[in-house]
Amino acid sequence: MFTEVMLALVVGGVIYFLVQKSKRPQLKSEDGWWGEGTPPDREEDVSIRPYTVRTDKEELEDLYRRIDQTRSFPSLEDSQFTYGFNSQYLQNVVSYWRHDFDWRRQVDQLNKYPHYKTNIEGIDVHYVHVRPKNLPEGVTAVPLLMVHGWPGSFYEFYRMIPLLTQPSNPDDIMFEVVCPSIPGYCFSEAPHKKGFDSVCAARVFHKLMKRLGFQQFYAHGGDWGWIVTTNMAQLEPKIIKGLHLNFAPPSKPGLPMVLSIMLGHRFPKIFGFNEHDIQRIYPVVQNLVVESVKESGYMHIQATKPDTVGRGLNDSPVGLAAYILEKFSTWTDHDFRNLDDGGLTRKFSLDDLLTNVMIYWTSGCIISSMRFYKENFSKGLDQPHSKMPVHVPTGFACFPNELMHTPKLWVQQKYRELKTFTPMARGGHFAAMEEPELMAQDIQNFTKMQEKRKK
Amino acid sequence: MFTEILLALVVGGVVYFLVQRSKRHQLKSEDGWWGEGTPMAGEEDLSIRPYTVQTDDEELEDLYRRIDQTRPFPSLEDSQFNYGFNSHYLQKVVTYWRRDFDWRRQVEKLNKFPHYKTNIEGIDVHYVHVRPKNLPEGVTAVPLLMVHGWPGSFYEFYRMIPLLTQPSNPDDIVFEVVCPSIPGYGFSEAPHKKGFDSVCAARVFHKLMKRLGFQQFYAHGGDWGWIVTTNMAQLEPKIIKGLHLNFAPPSKPGLPVVLSIMLGRSFPKLFGFNEHDIQRIYPVVQNLVVESVKESGYMHIQATKPDTVGRALNDSPVGLAAYILEKFSTWTDHDFRNLDDGGLTRKFSLDDLLTNVMIYWTSGCIISSMRFYKENFSKGLDQPHSKMPVHVPTGYACFPNELMHTPKLWVQQKYRELKTFTPMARGGHFAAMEEPELMAQDIQNFTKMQEKMK
Repeated sequence: MFTEVMLALVVGGVIYFLVQKSKRPQLKSEDGWWGEGTPPDREEDVSIRPYTVRTDKEELEDLYRRIDQTRSFPSLEDSQFTYGFNSQYLQNVVSYWRHDFDWRRQVDQLNKYPHYKTNIEGIDVHYVHVRPKNLPEGVTAVPLLMVHGWPGSFYEFYRMIPLLTQPSNPDDIMFEVVCPSIPGYCFSEAPHKKGFDSVCAARVFHKLMKRLGFQQFYAHGGDWGWIVTTNMAQLEPKIIKGLHLNFAPPSKPGLPMVLSIMLGHRFPKIFGFNEHDIQRIYPVVQNLVVESVKESGYMHIQATKPDTVGRGLNDSPVGLAAYILEKFSTWTDHDFRNLDDGGLTRKFSLDDLLTNVMIYWTSGCIISSMRFYKENFSKGLDQPHSKMPVHVPTGFACFPNELMHTPKLWVQQKYRELKTFTPMARGGHFAAMEEPELMAQDIQNFTKMQEKRKK
Repeated sequence: MFTEILLALVVGGVVYFLVQRSKRHQLKSEDGWWGEGTPMAGEEDLSIRPYTVQTDDEELEDLYRRIDQTRPFPSLEDSQFNYGFNSHYLQKVVTYWRRDFDWRRQVEKLNKFPHYKTNIEGIDVHYVHVRPKNLPEGVTAVPLLMVHGWPGSFYEFYRMIPLLTQPSNPDDIVFEVVCPSIPGYGFSEAPHKKGFDSVCAARVFHKLMKRLGFQQFYAHGGDWGWIVTTNMAQLEPKIIKGLHLNFAPPSKPGLPVVLSIMLGRSFPKLFGFNEHDIQRIYPVVQNLVVESVKESGYMHIQATKPDTVGRALNDSPVGLAAYILEKFSTWTDHDFRNLDDGGLTRKFSLDDLLTNVMIYWTSGCIISSMRFYKENFSKGLDQPHSKMPVHVPTGYACFPNELMHTPKLWVQQKYRELKTFTPMARGGHFAAMEEPELMAQDIQNFTKMQEKMK
């Protein structure tokens, strides 16, 4: 009798433990429907439709008319970019946009990769899908999903794509790349209902990849792409073979992080802090608090009144450009705030910058892009997914001028299987666009490591 | 020898004490110059030039063209004003603006009071100056300066002015009213140099009143007008006979404020809390923290990137209207966020609301109006003036739906001579425009009390 009870307890305990272990780290999510009105009765439309980016004379004439009627107002003397986008330099950018920027040519550039749309949960989701050409015999391409952020787009990845799908180095992995637009961004339809947050985007992208036939894949993201791909790893850890990030600010500062902030200056080695970590973190109030407050106004208003702040931006291309390009200046290097031209073209070409702006302008998506902030923050900072760790192999590319610096210790708090942590040579927030070679190389290194393990 | 030294020490001590005492409560401010480039040599232009608000066909055609080319984008289903200004209702407002709103008639309305401009510290300062007509024999009008805030203007005071300059009640005081536009707002020129904060505005307005010949005067303000008039009282306490406010959130929560928050629910009488105070303050996190965070996004971005956020608003009248009118909805009553029309016309007429928007639109001042936030906040919340108390007789009109509720105890922390504290029957942040009779009455009561005392 005693033996049976003992055995039952042990077996019960083991079963309980196993169930708890598999239960614990998985994020749950219910289906949603984001179309207008009520879902139609008919079967879901799972067709995949090729999509071509287009423009026409009318669109350009409208743009030019609006640019020509912009009402200028000078920035304060000697203010550079410290009050926001400087009026002088804005004039330069706008002149280029009006007279030299060739949107038709840029549209051709956009179309050099195949675009598609497919309807998921009631809305059309846009994505770019690039299959490698000339795959060697017996080699399968490794699928990679890359998710953009705000105020970026799929276009940020364009210079990286060839380095991933047609790498020059024969030892490098050949990727098959999918770059979707988050619903509400760019050429993806905007949700019509409240509540579309990063977990919804993650679920929608899982459905996309399933629809495209992928059983497993790698995911890369920065900015919102970081949270969306992280949520994807939390929703279906078995499907995400590896997660590569360049942005991962801690959602909840746990004890190790707090201790490291308090003592890291004196005992850097204990916390694994290198010189760059020290430089970026200390003095703490200036670097972690003041800098954040200085640069998070956009986040605050977008997380509370997106329909208000976005309204004017959808009528004024110049206003939209100022709003978006200010980030490409300041988030590439904080010190650019003190430059008359915001250092905008030090790391980016005006053609690339304006192409990204045009994607927001022609799609009219600025308001819905801002709503993503409200959907994600309005339930508070205590979302289930922000408390949940990630158990998928992760690689982190630590760019020196990233908006929020995260030393290895902090990344490890959430990403429990951090396989690579690479201090990168240079680059800021828009690293994929700013340093495509460096980023592609790190994705290669991380993926190669993971793929070797699988074999 | 010893006696002389002792006497010297005592006299020195007394002089030091007197000097310190007079020093302590007075805000200091240096002259500034805000024009373009470097100041020209030559005498300062002190002339006062009459100003007429004008409009023309071109201005209206441009406005209509822009309205007609607005690119709509629908708000989320069932979102009312929770994501900001609702697209449906915006469409209605814009239709009225395009078809029915008569800007020419509103301009005539604006011109029914005399406007002027005068150059101070290098920039043209605009103001409305209304002298009472038919002053009885031997009665001098009491001068009153009224300062607006953001996103308001001098126009907010228009319904109040006749109640102050031509009161029906013979016992009421007859005021002479001056309503300036803060530099960077409305028809006042915007500063061209960095650093124009509320203390600068206060100093400029002191110069204005001096130029108009006033030795002493009363001052009224809400929103930015609160800080500007408070700074005026701190700069020259002898000149401000009385300070009347409807907005005065504590800049630094001192011990009494903190204790009252912690214990006020259990011991309301101890802190002088009435039922309305309790309702507005508790639960603390929801009412003081969450609500503030929900409604201060505009302040955050304007205090850091005014040139960025304002740029599009200067091209898109519809965008500008949404941005400004959202405040006239939400700051009148937070619950209006849950209404499809934001409750906008419950307390205001579209004509008045759009007239205010048109002042921002036609003057193109939205960017400079936003810069005032950066100038005031970027040096931090620890400015000298925010730590200094105010020793000028003060009257406070406590409107029930004001953005930040301040019970009497909190107001007293800074305003050490609080003479009147009136819980008002109804009204929110734009109280002067929403409840002009109530506000005018409170100004009358406060001023009458002060004038009798003199």
